[in-house]
Amino acid sequence: MANEPKRWTCEEFEKALPDLFENAQGGKLSADPQFADILRDCPQAAELVRDLEYIAETARLLLEPEVDAPSSDLWQKIERELGDAPGSPVQ
Amino acid sequence: MEVQGYGMTQTKSTPAAGHFKRNPPIAGEADALERAKNGDPDAFSKLYALHKRRVYTLCLRMLGNVSEAEDMTQEAFLHLYRKLGSFRGESAFSTWLHRLTVNLVLMHLRKKGLQLVSLEETINPSEEDAPKRDFGSRDPRLSGSVERVALERAVSTLPPGYRLVFVLHDVEGYEHNEIAGMLECSTGNSKSQLHKARLKLREILRQNDQAATLQEAK
Repeated sequence: MANEPKRWTCEEFEKALPDLFENAQGGKLSADPQFADILRDCPQAAELVRDLEYIAETARLLLEPEVDAPSSDLWQKIERELGDAPGSPVQ
Repeated sequence: MEVQGYGMTQTKSTPAAGHFKRNPPIAGEADALERAKNGDPDAFSKLYALHKRRVYTLCLRMLGNVSEAEDMTQEAFLHLYRKLGSFRGESAFSTWLHRLTVNLVLMHLRKKGLQLVSLEETINPSEEDAPKRDFGSRDPRLSGSVERVALERAVSTLPPGYRLVFVLHDVEGYEHNEIAGMLECSTGNSKSQLHKARLKLREILRQNDQAATLQEAK
């Protein structure tokens, strides 16, 4: 007998989301046909999934470019510290 | 201060997800690395110039505090200077430096005695910090126009424990098992904290969205 797709309730689906996201292909639950029914029948779930996927996708954009930089005098501080270190070439 | 005890092995620290571009080749890095290993101060200065933004941004995201981020950036480069000789090139230098920095920041947080590393705070967050369980109610959608700047700002307001797991997983690309190792918690815990962090971010972003809409309506 072929495996029937699991019938989710909204509550069950919410509870399982951390694991479902982790196991979803590319972190995209919304693209997985096995969740099509629950996402269609439970608009709140669909909305939540869409928002969380969006947050995760946008988070990837934070990796680059790095717009923040330390203050310009940090290197001088490092040099000073290195200069104090025994055997340091930065004297 | 021993940092390598926190799982800083060169072979294990590969970026987790394929779409994360943590290690693009950097022109002049290999040469600077070799020269810095041989004690050339100019070469070390070059390594600093090449990686200061990456290291500082990582520290800032993990700590959410400019002054602490600067201190940890300094600490990371001082540590790098002392440990440079042990870099054998088995992973990309930027990956190695990244892991060194993560471990230093985690050690710093542990020293501060914050519970966030054991994730107590996020297991039992204060009423105020916990994401609202509003699954059953209809809420305004995220507008879809959340920019990285807005997300960056929202991330900086997350409770420290949430922020750590979110930054390590969603921004930096570590897997839950790696995070669990770093934070000394279970993978289930890491997954659960990530989910709560995303829920909290959703809540913050929606609030900001609504505030902006109200502002525009005035």
